Amino acid sequence: MGFLDILRAELRFVYADVFRRKSVLFMFIAYPYILTLFILLVGYSMGSASVFVERVGVDPAIFFITSGFILMAILGVGDDILWRPLFDEWLGTLPYIISSPVSRVQHYISIPIPRLLLVLVSGSTSVVPVLLYYYGLHGLVEGVAIILLTAIAAIFFASIAMVIMGVLYGFGGEHWRAINVIRPLLLVLLGVYYPKYLLPLSGYIVSSLIPSSHIVEAIQRILTGYNPSLQIMFMLIGVATALFILYTPIGVKSIVYWEKRKVGEGVKI
Amino acid sequence: MGVAIEARGLWKTYRTKKRKGLFRSQVEVVEALRGVSFHVRHGEVVGLLGPNGAGKTTTIKIVSTLLLPDKGEAFVEGYSVVREAREVRKCIGLLLTVEKGFYGKLTGRENLEYFGALYGLSGSVLKERIDYLMKLLELDKLGAVDRLFEEYSLGMKARLGLARALLKDPPVLLLDEPTLGLDPPSARKIRGLVRDLARNGKAVLYTTHNMFEAEIVCDRILLINKGRIVVEGSPEELKARIPRLRTIAVLVKNGSRDVIEESIKGIGVWREVATTPEGLISIRVKTENPEEILHDVVKAIVGNGYTIASLRVEEPTLEDVFIYFSTSEGSGG
Repeated sequence: MGFLDILRAELRFVYADVFRRKSVLFMFIAYPYILTLFILLVGYSMGSASVFVERVGVDPAIFFITSGFILMAILGVGDDILWRPLFDEWLGTLPYIISSPVSRVQHYISIPIPRLLLVLVSGSTSVVPVLLYYYGLHGLVEGVAIILLTAIAAIFFASIAMVIMGVLYGFGGEHWRAINVIRPLLLVLLGVYYPKYLLPLSGYIVSSLIPSSHIVEAIQRILTGYNPSLQIMFMLIGVATALFILYTPIGVKSIVYWEKRKVGEGVKI
Repeated sequence: MGVAIEARGLWKTYRTKKRKGLFRSQVEVVEALRGVSFHVRHGEVVGLLGPNGAGKTTTIKIVSTLLLPDKGEAFVEGYSVVREAREVRKCIGLLLTVEKGFYGKLTGRENLEYFGALYGLSGSVLKERIDYLMKLLELDKLGAVDRLFEEYSLGMKARLGLARALLKDPPVLLLDEPTLGLDPPSARKIRGLVRDLARNGKAVLYTTHNMFEAEIVCDRILLINKGRIVVEGSPEELKARIPRLRTIAVLVKNGSRDVIEESIKGIGVWREVATTPEGLISIRVKTENPEEILHDVVKAIVGNGYTIASLRVEEPTLEDVFIYFSTSEGSGG
């Protein structure tokens, strides 16, 4: 039983689900724009775009559309990994998944990939056209680089999401409540809308422990033109990779632990 | 035929926290299984019968590796459900509840393709297997193959559930009330199929509340009550183990229920008088020797000027066995 077969099954499952729920498909495409519109309206009520450009170094439309895209990609992976066991429990599919001989780790690695691919493709309807409009051909190259870096950030987030999943389910109880608390925290700590360097020291330290936050910083440096040297880029990607390598075995153990715990208390029918 | 499932002294206790007020909670302990042992051979359908909360589903969960026992061991095809869960999972087909367990936004075929991949099937092998099962369970005739699962009727859902259980053609089937709530044609279809599967060498562990079903589907029945197997045997053997009470069943026209109740007082060891929806009076009298009291029953009816619409003597049913052993009298509990 290969990973590719499991991945193919997940692709079929997610795409059938997404394409049959037109509202979900619409949100995939519209989300970065809706979020940007909302933020800009709030922003314009308090100040002007020129102040934002002066302080951050980039047009707010570019910044927020890109941020919305990055957030969708990274949190989408987190949501898939954290919510899927609950979703399967509610639907009654979990007993059949647990009683299948498939490798649980392979399965959970395959779960976020289909939606991530969709999000990355949706980058061509958000990040790329906006950058192309503002910066021309150079913007196109920049857009593609941002999509690739976002893909890395999202994949790296899978490791820490698996660790969180194991810890949450390990404590048992109503873990969906905990997920609802952790999600907005991650939103801040990733530094997508609120750059990492603006966080208080404790927040900065915690944020630096999340592999994806370093990739997000790299993307922001490209966007804002704040010291985007190759050396810094490689350093940020290197730190993120090291953290990813560190968390992955813990994430794998976490999934195994989750399954043991579920079977110990009895999989709900 | 070799042993496919073997359970030795399974014990399981559930501890649940019950909230008592805002900050206090109390731990409730329920002994779901208390030393359950049994075996199922290839080519055999073994029914697990018992009242609600008797431990049927807990047993199925342990055998299907969805729950760890506190004590005892269970083996499927020689593999331990605790230590070799992955091997066990390759050998079992599972059907738990018929009304859920699939993805609503996928069609029947897509759902089977998804679970087929998790069971290690792919490509043309999976496709052919799905086509075969859709035909076998007549899901193709019902137009269910390419219909979304959320649009399925309960009968279709049950059939699809059985199709999933059979996807990898496993030697062992674990079916938890597969006909619960189904219309008669679907229930009959599934019962017939289960018998055919056993005939082809599969070992089937089957839970049901339906006595009629247990009698026609199961080769052997394990009656479980309060976490213990109280009696075991073929339906005929079980019926022979209860006091041989037979039932004189009479339907009376134009009778008065009160008068009849008064007239048959003291006849037989147990009596019941009821009015049927058609307005007839139904009399049921249990006795060890119907021949001896038949005359008294008839006299009590005809003597009051009533007409007998039908009269028959019934042998003990599996329901009698179930009631006998599920009560404290039979189970000793």
